[in-house]
Amino acid sequence: MLRTEPFDSVHLISMNGLPKRKDRFTENHIRFQAYGVKVGIEAEKQSHLKEIYSRLGRVFTGGLKPASESEIEYRFFVERTRGGVYELYRNDEKTIEESDKEIFFDSVESQIRVTIAEFAREKVFLHAGVIGWKGRAIIIPATSYSGKTTLVAELAKKGALYYSDEYAVLDADGNVEPFPKWLSLRGVIDDYTQLECSVESLGGAAGTETIPVKMILIARYDKKKKSPQKWRPKRLSGGQGMMEILPHTLPIRNKPEFVLKVLNKLVSRAIIVKTVRGEAKEFAETLLNFFEHHTDFNNP
Amino acid sequence: MNNSQQRPVARKEGLVIQEMPDEVLVFDTETNKAHCLNETAAFVWKACNGTNSVADITQSFGNQSGKPVDENLVWLAIDQLNENNLLAENLQANFNGQSRREVIKKIGLAAVIALPIVSSLVAPSAALAVACTGNPNSPCTGNNNVLGRCCGGNCCEGQGFPCMGNTCG
Repeated sequence: MLRTEPFDSVHLISMNGLPKRKDRFTENHIRFQAYGVKVGIEAEKQSHLKEIYSRLGRVFTGGLKPASESEIEYRFFVERTRGGVYELYRNDEKTIEESDKEIFFDSVESQIRVTIAEFAREKVFLHAGVIGWKGRAIIIPATSYSGKTTLVAELAKKGALYYSDEYAVLDADGNVEPFPKWLSLRGVIDDYTQLECSVESLGGAAGTETIPVKMILIARYDKKKKSPQKWRPKRLSGGQGMMEILPHTLPIRNKPEFVLKVLNKLVSRAIIVKTVRGEAKEFAETLLNFFEHHTDFNNP
Repeated sequence: MNNSQQRPVARKEGLVIQEMPDEVLVFDTETNKAHCLNETAAFVWKACNGTNSVADITQSFGNQSGKPVDENLVWLAIDQLNENNLLAENLQANFNGQSRREVIKKIGLAAVIALPIVSSLVAPSAALAVACTGNPNSPCTGNNNVLGRCCGGNCCEGQGFPCMGNTCG
């Protein structure tokens, strides 16, 4: 994949000669592809495009490839009404209406990211944290506000390679690829505001290789829970594991056959455990010890 | 027709089926529901071919497991398959006047074979499976209405989904 190009050099292209959404609409757009999904974004103002492009650059750190106009599958239009409300349209359907600029651009980035994650070619995106340890991965499927990023950050501080705090990107064999977006830490400013930071700034490093998944951790955070001397998480069968993972699987409705095949490969090679965990710092140690003792690192 | 002679048919249309070592995962593309059939439920479902009677399935299951099987065990499976729309034709389970609970209790105590279990969930849309941004306690307004956020304990999508944590389930 190409590195992300500087905003002004490649992606800002005049719309002259191309059909415009509404007469009053924009001259500026970005066209790119990620994971085989071709996306076009158009906006009234260059500053809006720059805002979006900058956010996408922190998510798709591996870079974005250019796409041509004729290839575009998903078009996003950004505009601001006279009343000062920001609006996003996806393929001419209004999907976001928001007056707070920060929330709006966060949501635009999220929606573009979800579109790519849902329609990515030959990949399955799970909403999950991922780390690598000795060439094998642990994935942690979870909803937002479940402490996923905090746990991943603690694991990275203990020497695990950071793969993602947002998506486990599985290839057709069920192996996981790096998706090392900047970590979105909550609890620094307040419980809801996300602070974006690189894993390097936490003293960690990002994984670069696609690796097999050896453990799937289904964990619920309970701040009162203490890490026991000997951690004995509940083991789940493959089917039970799939049922835990499916709610976090973005393309399940779009390509169920492919998704189930990939997830079957995933669960057939990994141990699946379910637990209630306490504070991330303490639990990270427990988890890595368990992983060390229950993983055959010689067996892919 | 005698209940034992009924011949259930497994539904196949609109389903994506993933065989696993001891289970079967079924995804219903019409309802976006996923079902996990444990070994017992999977055996019964696979045997529902319109040719096998309930009595045949019971006997076949007994032969496979090497232990005598109560026909009610098969009916318990059929009951759940029926409930989850996994049979081509509706077939009401008949427990000879007993309630399902009574049958489960009776068989469960005596059985050396796992009771049939079909667990189900609705797979969320992609937007609902992803991160919430902003404060989940804020009201459902503006952008919150479109990303499937849970705000103030309500799913903002407005499609009757419950909140699971802070996303709409």
